[in-house]
Amino acid sequence: MLLPPLRYLRPETPEDAVAMLSDVDGSVVLAGGQTLMNMLKLDLAHPDALVDVHRIDALRGIEHDADGTLVVGAATTYAELARSPEVRRSHPAVAEMAAGLVDRQVRNRGTIGGNCCLNDPTSNYPPLMVALDARFRVLGRDGERRLPASEFFRGTLATAVGRGELLTTIEIPPMPQGSGVAHEHLQVGADSWAIARAVVRLDVADGVVADARAVLGAVYGSPLRLPEVERRLIGQRATPDLAEAADALQDVDVQTADDVHCSAAYRREMAEVQLRRAIRAAVERSVQ
Amino acid sequence: MTIEQTRPDTRRFTGKAMPRKEDARLLKAQGEFGDDTPVANLAYMAFVRSPYAHARIVDIDVSAAEKVDGYLGCLLPDEVAELTDPYAELQGPPGDAEVDRCLAAGGKVRFSGEPVVAVAATSREAARDAAAAVVVDYEPLPHVVDTRKAVEPDAPLVHDQVGCNVAFESTFDWGDIDFALENADHVIEVDELHFHRFSSTPLECTAITAEYDAGTDTFTFTGGFATPQLATLNLAGALRHPTNKLRVLSKDIGGSFGIKLNTHIPATAAALLARKLGRPIRWTETRTESHQMGGHGNERWFRNVKMALQSDGTVLGLSYEALDDVGAYTRYEPLGAVIWTQVANACYQLKHLRVHYRSVYTNKCPTHPNRGYSRTQHLWLVERMMDIAAHKLGFDPVEFRMKNYIQPDQYPYTTVNGCVYDSGNLPESLRKALELIDYEEARQLQRAAAGTGKRIGIGIGSTLDSGTNNFGQARLLNPHLPFGGNSEAALVRLGIDGAVYATTGAVAFGQGHETTISQVVADELGVSYDDVHVQRGSDSGLSAQMGLSGSYASQFAVTGIGAMLNATRKLAAEIKQVAAAVLGVKPEEIELADGKARVVGDAEKALPLSDVAGIVHFSPASLPREVAENVGLVGRAVYSAPFDLPDLERKYGNLTLTYATQIHACVVEIDEETGQTTLLRYAMVDDCGTPINPMVIEGQVHGATAHGISAALFEDMAYDENGQLRAGNFYDYHAATAFDLPSFRYANVVSPSPFTPIGAKGMGEGGGAPLQAISAAIQDAVGDSAAVLDSFNPPERVLRLLRGLNAEKVKVIR
Repeated sequence: MLLPPLRYLRPETPEDAVAMLSDVDGSVVLAGGQTLMNMLKLDLAHPDALVDVHRIDALRGIEHDADGTLVVGAATTYAELARSPEVRRSHPAVAEMAAGLVDRQVRNRGTIGGNCCLNDPTSNYPPLMVALDARFRVLGRDGERRLPASEFFRGTLATAVGRGELLTTIEIPPMPQGSGVAHEHLQVGADSWAIARAVVRLDVADGVVADARAVLGAVYGSPLRLPEVERRLIGQRATPDLAEAADALQDVDVQTADDVHCSAAYRREMAEVQLRRAIRAAVERSVQ
Repeated sequence: MTIEQTRPDTRRFTGKAMPRKEDARLLKAQGEFGDDTPVANLAYMAFVRSPYAHARIVDIDVSAAEKVDGYLGCLLPDEVAELTDPYAELQGPPGDAEVDRCLAAGGKVRFSGEPVVAVAATSREAARDAAAAVVVDYEPLPHVVDTRKAVEPDAPLVHDQVGCNVAFESTFDWGDIDFALENADHVIEVDELHFHRFSSTPLECTAITAEYDAGTDTFTFTGGFATPQLATLNLAGALRHPTNKLRVLSKDIGGSFGIKLNTHIPATAAALLARKLGRPIRWTETRTESHQMGGHGNERWFRNVKMALQSDGTVLGLSYEALDDVGAYTRYEPLGAVIWTQVANACYQLKHLRVHYRSVYTNKCPTHPNRGYSRTQHLWLVERMMDIAAHKLGFDPVEFRMKNYIQPDQYPYTTVNGCVYDSGNLPESLRKALELIDYEEARQLQRAAAGTGKRIGIGIGSTLDSGTNNFGQARLLNPHLPFGGNSEAALVRLGIDGAVYATTGAVAFGQGHETTISQVVADELGVSYDDVHVQRGSDSGLSAQMGLSGSYASQFAVTGIGAMLNATRKLAAEIKQVAAAVLGVKPEEIELADGKARVVGDAEKALPLSDVAGIVHFSPASLPREVAENVGLVGRAVYSAPFDLPDLERKYGNLTLTYATQIHACVVEIDEETGQTTLLRYAMVDDCGTPINPMVIEGQVHGATAHGISAALFEDMAYDENGQLRAGNFYDYHAATAFDLPSFRYANVVSPSPFTPIGAKGMGEGGGAPLQAISAAIQDAVGDSAAVLDSFNPPERVLRLLRGLNAEKVKVIR
């Protein structure tokens, strides 16, 4: 069968969804379907049941907490993020990434939660979520867990979301005054796979980097945070020369592989190029 | 040669950008493609395909498939061997020992993706499941994927009985290249260049339905057959079935670009199952299957390339050895070995050319004629050598091309091998292209870019689209092949309502045939554009087809339109005969205009065509007996292109009738850190003679340009060392979309062909000019320290070029 016989379930609430995911063997979450449906079609995934969560209101929507934390329902689409004036104001990097993602059809269906839960090495959001210190709220039978991004992403196509669990919400802390976030990538063509991706966040106060995140995507199983690069950024004056911090990458064992688009050596080199660029762009974007 | 030419400037519709008649149904999703037609009791076919590049089939077990719900039956290689004859091979010995069937022949598979078993079931999903349940036991054999290794003495043999991997070999030698190389002021040598494999990824993958009517012992095939009569011939041979009991139909086809010339192969399997199971069988290719075996263009290695030039910049000629990778079977191949000679001179006044050409088997997908078939490869090589020579010897790339182009006053121009280029104005085309990219300003941009981390490169591509081929060239391959010239047919009739119905022998797959036919027929009969109804699709059972009918080799504007004009003139003569009898004048006093047959000089005396139709169809007794007996209000005619058979000894003669030209120019920006190429400006100047519909032409030029750019930067049907296709479908094979392309800058030049009915030339394929222009632009950007020797230039390769790739492979001998 193009789709093997399987059950299609449509829960009304996150709790119902969790119940179904716990009770039905071989069930998987269907959100925007931008990856899952292709995997089914290519016979790469073999679930017994699809739990369609994309119409659960509680999983959608964009809000801000009193402290400015951006609270995004996991089934919020890229299009909703891209056109939200509030997100553009508070977390421009989140909105910009959504706006630049593939094409309109994908943006209208694809969800931020789906992108994170897939954790494909080339996925857009995981490295950004790491750089922004996002927290992931995961609902299970026994209640809710709240995980930092560093614990959420576990490896190629793997996250901390366990069997019978559902990612409900992503919380992104408010951006500190003066911080700059930049995302740089090299893609195949204008909208195809990423060869290398880098996200850098610099929190700048009085012209000095108070805190920093440097994360690579597309080269490694999961977003690869680079503590050594961050260490070289923190405490320095925020000038374009900071890009030299990317040199630290040469000491990092970046495990990556040849694929149809390029060699591992090229991908490694491109990761460094994107990292330098992201540092420079983050410096430019930080308010000093 | 005298051919009456109609002057389009006096015409109401011909030459105008009439809106396309096909668009309304296509844009509303009301077209009818191969997979759309409802058929009662339809069953579906799926193939079990080889996962190995080369293996012996040890055992096939279908028992698990038989248990799948909806399974109807299957077809095994042994059955095919018993029920069919191998497809006829075009080549003589030893390559003619190749055995090619619709399922793996001789107990072996020869490429990854080769069909081994065909399974039928009541739904396409069940067919796929049943195919997945078939267990085939293989014993892997050594394989060869690199053409260069395939010609080495110890290479694994793709076809044991052929005894080597060379399907065809020939030396083409015109002029005296040895003398030129010995005496020229300059000689440039390049060790090796590579033209990569890519496809044309039609929107509609192949879809066919085979029906067998036991009562009349007739097979009917519906789907994407680009050459219905040749398909019939191939099917008849393979199925051992009389040709008159085979019918090939098509409706809408979503693109062919040449790669649907081999649809008869899966159709053979569908036919066998249809007969065996007593049910119509449909096969709809998936995109992955289309990548596996739907048709790759020819990959070619050029080795030991030498070019001779004078110090004033005159190019004398060149020589090279070609290793053409035809994959595991020669299907339309090895015709590519002679097709390239249609454009032996490329756009230049070459005097000497020697090519040692080998068509080589590998354990890869068989190649199919892909847009610009076999010419694109040679044209790329020549233009690349021109570009390299200009760089190495310090000639201005524009002046150097201008000087060596065939000049406007030299047409008709006879090439080294006797082909006759009909018309053109290459220098004017290049001037226009450079204007469109604002060449001088782009050079300033290039200088200003120094030190910014970006490089700017400007590139030129100069190609020909040779159209309307002389099938006599097949005899250069094998003197026993019974082909010569080319013809097409058409049928035009006046219906009972006075509307005009036209049927072409050609096969439309998106080019707008219904539109352009309506334009020329309406003008010829003096009726309105909307009064001409062109039958969609094609039907081998109608007398509108000749043996070589179809759409390939950029010829419709000549052969299809030529036949249509001839047929329309016959119909016009009959209309005049009827009107003359009714109006009491002589037929030569009648003219056709405004939907009427009227007496010249007396517009009052006129008969609407609906009246002409009404009298003939419903009241023949009103006509004089001799008119009623002679007039059927049908015009059927052929257009036969004026060709002679080539001189086989010298490999000399005119091989194509028209030569449309494409001059492209582009400005690229290259990121020095990543090697990524961005197109800043892209211009194409097309000259396909007298335009029939400028909008249709521009649309096809845009399509060919997008395809060429995509091939140059993104598309690569490369295989890994295990003989597995690396980009098996659109997941990994990036075909350019609008996102990847700049806004095109288009202009045209009109050099009417003196050889064709309305001065138009075939076009649409283009000659792969974007591959040349982008190669040249990258070369221009990286400068003299590296050499662009591959037609495919993804970012990683460009980065290597920035670091000096291939510099040592180019030598200035003197």
